[in-house]
Amino acid sequence: MTDEIALSVENLKTFFYTNKRCNKAVNGVSFNIKKGKTLCVVGESGCGKSVTASTIMQLLPTLSRIEEGSVTYHSDRGDIRIDELPRDGSEMRRIRGSEISMIFQDPMTALNPVYTIGFQIAESLQYHTDLNSSEIKARVIELLTDMGIPLPEQRAEEYPHNFSGGMRQRAMIAMAMSCNPKILIADEPTTALDVTIQAQIFGLMDKLKSEHHTAIMLITHDMGVVAELADEVAVMYMGNIVEAGTVDDVLRRPRHPYTRALLDSIPVLGRGRNQDIKSIRGATPDPYDRPVGCQFAPRCDFASDACKQMPSEDFVNDTHRVSCWAHKEIAQNG
Amino acid sequence: MSSSALNKKFDRIRAQEEAGLLKTSTGNRALRKMMSNRLAMVGLIIFSIILLSSIFAPLLTSHDPQKIDLRSMLNSPSWDHIFGTDRTGRDVFARILYGGRVSILVGLGSALLSAVIGVGIGCYTGYRGGWIDVVALRVSEIFMSFPQIILVLLLVSIVGQSLINLIIIFVLSGWGSMYRLSRARMLSLREEEYVQALQSFGVSTVKICYKHILPNALGPIMVNVTLTTAMFILAEAGLSFLGLGVPLSIPTWGNILNVAQDLRVLQNNWWMWLPVGLVISLFVLSVNFIGDGLRDSTDSTLQG
Amino acid sequence: MLTFILRRLLITIPMLLVISFLIYLGLELTPGDAVSYMINPELANQITAEQLDQMREALGLNKSFLERYSIWLFHVLQGDFGHSLSGGVAISTIVLDRLPATLELSIFALLFSTLIGCFFGTISALRRGSATDSTLTVVGMLGVSIPEFFFGLVALLVFALNLGWLPVGGRLLPEYDSYWDHLPNIILPGVVLSLMMTAGVMRYSRSAMLDSLSREFIRTARSKGLPEWRINLIHGFRVALTPVVVLIGFRLPTLIGGSVIIETVFQWPGVGNEFILAVRGSDYPLVMMIALFSVFAMLMASLIVDILTALIDPRVRLG
Repeated sequence: MTDEIALSVENLKTFFYTNKRCNKAVNGVSFNIKKGKTLCVVGESGCGKSVTASTIMQLLPTLSRIEEGSVTYHSDRGDIRIDELPRDGSEMRRIRGSEISMIFQDPMTALNPVYTIGFQIAESLQYHTDLNSSEIKARVIELLTDMGIPLPEQRAEEYPHNFSGGMRQRAMIAMAMSCNPKILIADEPTTALDVTIQAQIFGLMDKLKSEHHTAIMLITHDMGVVAELADEVAVMYMGNIVEAGTVDDVLRRPRHPYTRALLDSIPVLGRGRNQDIKSIRGATPDPYDRPVGCQFAPRCDFASDACKQMPSEDFVNDTHRVSCWAHKEIAQNG
Repeated sequence: MSSSALNKKFDRIRAQEEAGLLKTSTGNRALRKMMSNRLAMVGLIIFSIILLSSIFAPLLTSHDPQKIDLRSMLNSPSWDHIFGTDRTGRDVFARILYGGRVSILVGLGSALLSAVIGVGIGCYTGYRGGWIDVVALRVSEIFMSFPQIILVLLLVSIVGQSLINLIIIFVLSGWGSMYRLSRARMLSLREEEYVQALQSFGVSTVKICYKHILPNALGPIMVNVTLTTAMFILAEAGLSFLGLGVPLSIPTWGNILNVAQDLRVLQNNWWMWLPVGLVISLFVLSVNFIGDGLRDSTDSTLQG
Repeated sequence: MLTFILRRLLITIPMLLVISFLIYLGLELTPGDAVSYMINPELANQITAEQLDQMREALGLNKSFLERYSIWLFHVLQGDFGHSLSGGVAISTIVLDRLPATLELSIFALLFSTLIGCFFGTISALRRGSATDSTLTVVGMLGVSIPEFFFGLVALLVFALNLGWLPVGGRLLPEYDSYWDHLPNIILPGVVLSLMMTAGVMRYSRSAMLDSLSREFIRTARSKGLPEWRINLIHGFRVALTPVVVLIGFRLPTLIGGSVIIETVFQWPGVGNEFILAVRGSDYPLVMMIALFSVFAMLMASLIVDILTALIDPRVRLG
């Protein structure tokens, strides 16, 4: 049984026009998000993963636009081209919150400090459902309970600063899931949290997948999170996807030098103090002063003259694709 | 901007970028921002014009601002008297020019003096902390719990009206905010690592405070000086208008306006009060423009 | 909440005590003996010189400075502020008589400046960079640069003397039948008084709004699919309100101080007008007591503003 695709992104390009310069933040990105599965988009800061998420939700700042490509949401009503919808039009606003939701990195700043948690969750329900106020109230408590928040009736009347970090994130997830969206985009949801709390949030997200069949797009820079949660992975660098596939493909048999370097730079618990951690040499280039061709070439051990041309995408197997001229050579070296 | 206009703008920028025409600019950020802040430049020009006109008053008018000429009372503007004459035949234009000297002296002088005292105390007590800081803080709170004008008038009624008295009284009412500002900056800056390094080298408290930390706090202090100047100019104008500021024998902008309390003058002799009021407004406006420009250029959190 | 109020009161009271001490010091320093004005002049005319001396003794004439101060303070706390030097009227009577007028003006100015200032400041922020924004910014700059009394004079000339739309001055004029007749009289001095405050609130609410709109929770609100107006008003403006309220509280003294001059310009029979007359007439007791009263009013007003801030912003209640 092939998995149903909830969202397809095809050759997406999003450019930023701040400070009178043109920043090609996302420069040709394609992927699918499948129902009941988690796609992890992983990369360093500035690689364009958050921008991709913002583009899908059409939450981009004024001085930016979708340059090329398509974002297609496969809804019950048919295929909707999100890139063609007016940014704050009624259709887009209907989709946001009720069909595609997003949770953000820092729940303390992402929640409005002067309104109670209950109020903020109820807002989504108010605007996307026909429930009356007592039904909304009941649903809010139901959601908080589902997300594992104790004493939900009391908690709903409290403010964000009364909550601990983990609980705030749960409340945010409750808010995002309030209308049972088909797709949940999570932008580094656990970066601001303790490791122990992280595990709880992961458990929560797994539950969402199994119970609600939600398609999850998880953005992170942490390979450990990828190993835990991902069904599929897309590795991004400077606005392009350099390698993508199932978590097995990418984590066990990485073919792109960047993916390998990322995996090599993580210390492994148990290997001891003297394990070999390699940091990636060089630094990410200035987005306004990019190298020609493959963006990773200046930092790559396998670079050659061919890299002055942007590598084309090769399919290693049905699910695994990589953009590197040297990927076969790398696979052979192991 | 409409979306189509925005799109065209984007297309243009993209084309330029792809052609390699755009480069990051260098140079002193603060100066550049200041230059690009046209309002601040306009402010500076107006400020200079008024200031210089007052200083070089004798060059601009041959009339004596104090000279009474009972034969030409209440004359409307003419070539000889650009802004006409007042009730005792004195040339209004000359009075405005010479009056500017006093008003600006009071305004700017009081502001600078307040700054020196407020910053001096704020830096030192803020740095040292302890009981001296608490005492200074409470004292400043006492001064600041009076509405300024009431405090000023209170002191004026006790010590009497004179130019020096007014400046001293202004400083007494104004040092508090400067003090608070510099103290706050000092409190945040003294935790910086370079201060601890200086302490471990045995540099004296006074030196650390004034030579090393103070220069870093200068930005908001300068902005505050401009705002305080504006405040004092307006305060002097208001007080002198009521006859309770600078003694009426010394012409100041506010003094000249004193006659406007008479409704007949208000209606019939516009030249006696309208130009002065406009000059005050322009001067204070220019000071505010400069202050805004300074704030924009010294605030490092604003994105270029 | 109650502890918050109590704590604030605890800080305010010592402050008032110190200031009352300074005021009393001022009374002692000015010409005239420090206790005679506490005696009702009408009464003084009716009793013998001996009895007068006895009264002065009781008020501490020959006692130490501190004793005199305590007796004076005792009287003040009971509402006895002594008597004006010109006319001998009880100062408390004068102040209470004039208070409604000043309150009318101040409350009008406060409401006007808050509503108009917030409204235009928000519009400025929402239409950032547009012609509307630039115009409003310049208007705001003018507002804080033009001397209030000068603006008052111009307004008086144009609207009252020349156009005759509004009365020239005064408050409860003899020809008014009911209380409401005098409302047009409030407009001119009220608007003029609020000039600087309105401009300040406008500029400040603009920047508070811009700051609020750039925060993360705005993005969250948008991601929930809420309509623009709700994002701007319920989320953006609501959070911007806190610093604006703090600013208004901060600037209240200018409102109280400004009324002093404006009342004189418009012949408005308020406490400020009375203060100017007292200063001009060297009526020291009246000057001192009005000053003391104004400090009290200010401290009370800032307490109210602090309570209001705590009500608006739940984060403040913690500290």
